[in-house]
Amino acid sequence: MTDTQEASAAIFAGTRARDLLKRTMPNALLEEHVSCNERTVVIDRSDLVAVVKLLRDHHEALYNLPVLVTAVDYPDREPDLPRFDVVYVLRSLSFNDVIQIVVRVTEKDPHVPTLEDVYAGMDWHERETYDLFGIVFDGHHDLKRILLPSDWEGHPLRKDYISFGEPVAFTHNLDWALQESQRPDTMPGEME
Amino acid sequence: MDEFARGRAAVGLDPENSAIDATQLEDGTMELNMGPQHPSTHGVLRLVLDLDGEVVRECRPDIGYLHTGFEKSFESHTYWQCVPYTDRMDYLGPMLNNLGFALAVEKMLGIEVPERARYLRVILSELTRIASHLIWFGTSAMDMGATSPFMYAWRERETILDINEFISGVRMHTSFIRIGGLMADVPDGFVAMVQNVLDTFPRAFDEYDLLVTNNPIFRDRTIGIGVISKEDAVSYGLTGPSLRGSGIPYDLRKAQPYCGYDEFAFDVPIGTNGDVYDRYLCRMQEMRESLGIIAQALEKLPEGPVTSMNRKVSPPPRNEINTSMEALINHFKLVTEGMHPPKGTTYTAIESARGELGYYIVSDGSNRPYRCKVRAPSFSNLAGLPSMARGHLIADTVAIIGSIDIVLGDVDR
Repeated sequence: MTDTQEASAAIFAGTRARDLLKRTMPNALLEEHVSCNERTVVIDRSDLVAVVKLLRDHHEALYNLPVLVTAVDYPDREPDLPRFDVVYVLRSLSFNDVIQIVVRVTEKDPHVPTLEDVYAGMDWHERETYDLFGIVFDGHHDLKRILLPSDWEGHPLRKDYISFGEPVAFTHNLDWALQESQRPDTMPGEME
Repeated sequence: MDEFARGRAAVGLDPENSAIDATQLEDGTMELNMGPQHPSTHGVLRLVLDLDGEVVRECRPDIGYLHTGFEKSFESHTYWQCVPYTDRMDYLGPMLNNLGFALAVEKMLGIEVPERARYLRVILSELTRIASHLIWFGTSAMDMGATSPFMYAWRERETILDINEFISGVRMHTSFIRIGGLMADVPDGFVAMVQNVLDTFPRAFDEYDLLVTNNPIFRDRTIGIGVISKEDAVSYGLTGPSLRGSGIPYDLRKAQPYCGYDEFAFDVPIGTNGDVYDRYLCRMQEMRESLGIIAQALEKLPEGPVTSMNRKVSPPPRNEINTSMEALINHFKLVTEGMHPPKGTTYTAIESARGELGYYIVSDGSNRPYRCKVRAPSFSNLAGLPSMARGHLIADTVAIIGSIDIVLGDVDR
């Protein structure tokens, strides 16, 4: 950060929440980022409920409006970092501020505690994130698909979900394009 | 066998079973399916109602009939190509959707738009807000049985759609607000058309007040119906007039001004009880405030370019391409490859006609968004419907759906 950036850091969105977290729960704050004058804090999922309750109820924060819940998929990031970023955006009406909270979960264990009891509006947002990304919100009273039909297979916003048409098999991508049972007995190039 | 039983037998149903789409539950309540083709659900919203006689005990919205996977499509299109998708989400407020997306990408690119473009954006988004509120006014009054306000509202909305057509060639999905500015400058005659709106609409709004606002039947059907408290409204994430109807004066145009909204004087109307009537009054007053903003912006409208001079973002004008090789290369690069916002994320929100419309964009430095999540106001507002409808009659539920002003394209995306 340059000096001028440091000087204007006070007006970055989310500074209020970051400062409060740093003061009261310093261990919960794993990382923080600034992008486009907006702060993102990365926390561990075990702290999520406590952090969000603190941000909602503390008289210096009052982040009482749930704006959105979503996820971002980085399939190539494992095993260095977990594959999914689960993103929460909360707004404080009293202090006119927005904070972005990120919780990272792995592909093998995509579980996050539900925030349904903290904000009534989280119900649908969590269902949408489950529907499109397959993130499981533990403790949600009725975690089922919301936008897609209940018998849909897969989670479309994952990067490995093919969005258009059917995969076309070529010699170089047979393993990717065809299921095990559909693959030919003799692979091309292996014929006698 | 009575004629209904004969009818049931004729279509192969048990003549004794009088419930075709209604099921008797054990505790004496009845589960009734409302929609997705019900005229009062404003599109394809399906509600499953648990009824005790006429009283709604529980209401479970079922959404997703219009889910189109826009967010997935965004990931495989360049930023320029994403703009037409944004129109089609909230199809009653297309320019506001364009604006939200454009502002988010401009924030990532770190560019400013010229003054004229900024003022025109304000004028156009306020016109769009009025057009959207007019549809809400007409349809929600029609839901309650008043068919003529619908015709009046359509008459006024038509003049705004004529302006859209005049400036962009398209009536609804204009994609007129682009990244870096506007599609083109407005033609001569635009100012006169907007002035005509300013001159005629106040009279029309007074007419609506005579027809509906002070109508005793309408007041009986809306006052005290669908109440949502301040705390619940916030906890559900309601925004826009649905939040302000409960008495919270939160409007992003005031709270976090974009496009220079802080230069204009306007009020944010709020309600007191949080019922259907208060939400109605908020929107009616908002239309008048929008007219005030348009009048101020029209008065100050400066001359000048309407797109950014940054040729990595907006295409050069035609005469420049004809004479400059550099401009031709820029144009070619922009059309084939598009722009590359730097790595990062942003959450940028604007006040759409329905509430907080936000774009959460993740850029990996390439010419396509790595992830683009649309925070749709209708989605959160609809999530609050069950708590508003509980304990009311079916007929009131219809009024409540009208009062939260949802667009299913926005809910399902």
